[in-house]
Amino acid sequence: MSEVAAKPIVSSWTRRRLRLSRLVPYLLLQALIVIASLLVLRLLQPSDPEDYAVSEFTQQENGATKTVALPHFTSSRYSLDDPPLYSGSFMLTGADAKSAWSVFLPRFSNAVEVAVNGVVILDSRRDDAANRPDRNTPQIALIPSSLLREGTNGITVRLFVWGPLKGFLDTVYVGPDEALRPAYERRALLFVTLPVVFSAWQAILAVILAIMWLMRRHEPVYGVLAVAMVLGVIQAFLPPPVPPLSYSRLAAVLLASAPIESALIVVFAVLFFGWRWPRYGLLLFAPGVIVFVAGLVAGPPLPRILFLALGIPTVGLCLLLMACITATAVVRRQDAASFTLGCAVTIVLTCWGHDMLSVFEIMPNERTFVSRLSYSAMLVAIGAGLTWRFARALNQVDSFAGQLVARVREAEERLKASFVREEARARAAALADERTRLMRDLHDGLGGQLISIVALSERGNTGATITDAARAALKDLRLVIDSMDDIGGDLMLALGSWRERAAAQLRPHDIALDWRITSQQGLPLHPELRPWHVIQIIRILDEAVTNAVKHAAARHVSVTIETLDGADGQHGVIRIEDDGKGFALADNAEAPASGQAARGLRNMKSRAARCGAVLDIGSGTTGTRVRLQLPQRFPDTDAASR
Amino acid sequence: MTDQGETAGTITILLVEDDAPTCWRLQDALVKAGYEVRTAGTLGEARSALNDAAPRVLLTDLRLPDGHGIELIRETRRRFPETEIMVISALGDEESVISAITVGATGYLLKDAFPTDIATTVRDLVAGHSPISASIARFIVRRTQTSVEPPPGPALNTAKLTPREIDILWGIAKGFSYAEIAGHLGLSRQTVPGHIKNIYRKLEVHTRSEAVFEAVQQGLIKL
Repeated sequence: MSEVAAKPIVSSWTRRRLRLSRLVPYLLLQALIVIASLLVLRLLQPSDPEDYAVSEFTQQENGATKTVALPHFTSSRYSLDDPPLYSGSFMLTGADAKSAWSVFLPRFSNAVEVAVNGVVILDSRRDDAANRPDRNTPQIALIPSSLLREGTNGITVRLFVWGPLKGFLDTVYVGPDEALRPAYERRALLFVTLPVVFSAWQAILAVILAIMWLMRRHEPVYGVLAVAMVLGVIQAFLPPPVPPLSYSRLAAVLLASAPIESALIVVFAVLFFGWRWPRYGLLLFAPGVIVFVAGLVAGPPLPRILFLALGIPTVGLCLLLMACITATAVVRRQDAASFTLGCAVTIVLTCWGHDMLSVFEIMPNERTFVSRLSYSAMLVAIGAGLTWRFARALNQVDSFAGQLVARVREAEERLKASFVREEARARAAALADERTRLMRDLHDGLGGQLISIVALSERGNTGATITDAARAALKDLRLVIDSMDDIGGDLMLALGSWRERAAAQLRPHDIALDWRITSQQGLPLHPELRPWHVIQIIRILDEAVTNAVKHAAARHVSVTIETLDGADGQHGVIRIEDDGKGFALADNAEAPASGQAARGLRNMKSRAARCGAVLDIGSGTTGTRVRLQLPQRFPDTDAASR
Repeated sequence: MTDQGETAGTITILLVEDDAPTCWRLQDALVKAGYEVRTAGTLGEARSALNDAAPRVLLTDLRLPDGHGIELIRETRRRFPETEIMVISALGDEESVISAITVGATGYLLKDAFPTDIATTVRDLVAGHSPISASIARFIVRRTQTSVEPPPGPALNTAKLTPREIDILWGIAKGFSYAEIAGHLGLSRQTVPGHIKNIYRKLEVHTRSEAVFEAVQQGLIKL
């Protein structure tokens, strides 16, 4: 109804029309099912061998004797003393005597004692199944051949009745065993074996449903149905209370099973359709509880009377409630489950009505009770349906899990693709960055030097200056190429190459290069070291060496590489010292671009700052000391150059 | 221009360089140092010069007008195993030097090296001391480190190098002197240059079949 709830003005009228349009076809269908059920009940009525029917009997009851034709109802009785006695006779010809003869009683209630020619051949009270009024148990007994005589034989049937139901005796069949046995077998199959089979199914389903409920406590619907089934199974397999023999209170309380079961089934329906269980709904269990208590405390007839007066109507009421609930569910939900359940309830209700008509002799009948059978069949169907639903839910979970896996995989793929894209983008950006830096480095060094070579050549200057400029250009080119190599964060590898270049630069000037590495490792590893850091550091060192050659007139240049343990970890230090004449550092620092040395010093400072390194320069008449302290971690971005 | 006469004790050098000024410069430096120098500007000239007489030392540029110096090095190495071969390089970059080493060169000479350095390098080479630069050593040792994907640059099989040789290369790459390396590794200072020549020889790939044989020997290929 939610689809129309949004339009309150037309909702009431529309809703009613919608309901009606759904209810009417459903009810028509249920009517059809009722007719069909009745037809099936008629058709399935087992046929008996009418050739051997013995229906003419004299009945002795309460001292009165009258002639009756079977089937016959007696009045209801509560005492087993002086039971109604039916006496009849059958003819036996000489030809018939050759085969075995049997007595076949298709239906009686509650128990019979059959005697042929005064000898008892059958007492059904010893058969538990036969004592059940709800089970239509047939009986057959072979007549010992010694009892039979040619001509007229007498047969007497003593009918034991325990109220409140009336006693009933269907037509008795006496004839050759091979003629009667098939009819008996058919009835036994329908009314003895089939209920046992249904009960066995119920037992199995009860276990399955109980396990489901135990594992899924939030779905009590399984538990309710399991309890109903367990009750049904106990009722089916425990012997019913039989007055003449042992009387057990436990057996008596089992009479309460039918009303309690039916109430449980109503609870099941309510839960199944997801409705709230009304508080007063517990009243539905009251009749069952009353019968139960009566069975515990009172003597034999009372529980049975109560059962008939309270239990049976309760069952009917519950079935009617079920019919209403399912009809409502059909109108609301329009789904296969409610529809199927509704049809099943209609069938059981029809069977119950059939039995009621039979009990009250309103309908000509042979007192065949079918409600228990149809109810069991319905329970089994419901149980099977629930199991099916459970399995389907498992399948859904499976497919859901499959979908989830597929989706996760999809998302993974997307993520991977975007990661690859992002990586490619980052790589391209890094490459562009690197290219920009390379261009800048080439421009800084090589470009300027080549231009000065051109300028010097144009002035016709052929002296050492062009050579120096060209050598500087070559050196710078080698530096840039060298710094492009992957040195794995080990600055020592770059310094190794630089040592060769510096030595080659100093050798023509007869300056000795004193190279000292204080530890075998040299400098700490810097995984974050980038080529542009290397270029900056090597250029600082180059500048220092060039100053020593050009301006300081040094004889020795010493390079010391050491690793110092600071408060915040290790850091490398590179010291370059010469024994030249030095230069007036402090005085000239403020004079901008006063000379090449000053410009060089400024460059060195700015390069060190870009790498996060600390540069100390001390100069005096005894020489110049350059101390470059490398940072703990080289900066990622070349912030100072932008 | 070339002096065919070879006297005992005179070391003959075949200099193959197509750039005339560079050629003059190197030739001047070598002649001043007392070497006997023949020059060739092309691969063809170099081959005919080799046919005349085997030089003690071959100095060759890689890019020649009619071919590649690599071919010349390979031929010379095959025909005259006694000839020491050096590649002349403008920048001493790994690409050219390593590819020359793998075909039989045992060193390289920078085109702008000072004349004294040029003479010293050749003299050391003849004395059996192959020069190696820090950047070349660095290139080789980085190839000895296991990595998933082959690094860029010329192919180089470092499987035959011993741990000691790799240690020596590490020392050179980090700027340690031969004496310092010998001290660290417990060697005699004089043996280090010999190790370097061994290293060059081990990096040499002679022929295809030889390479396969070596690969089998080293267990790189299973037959």
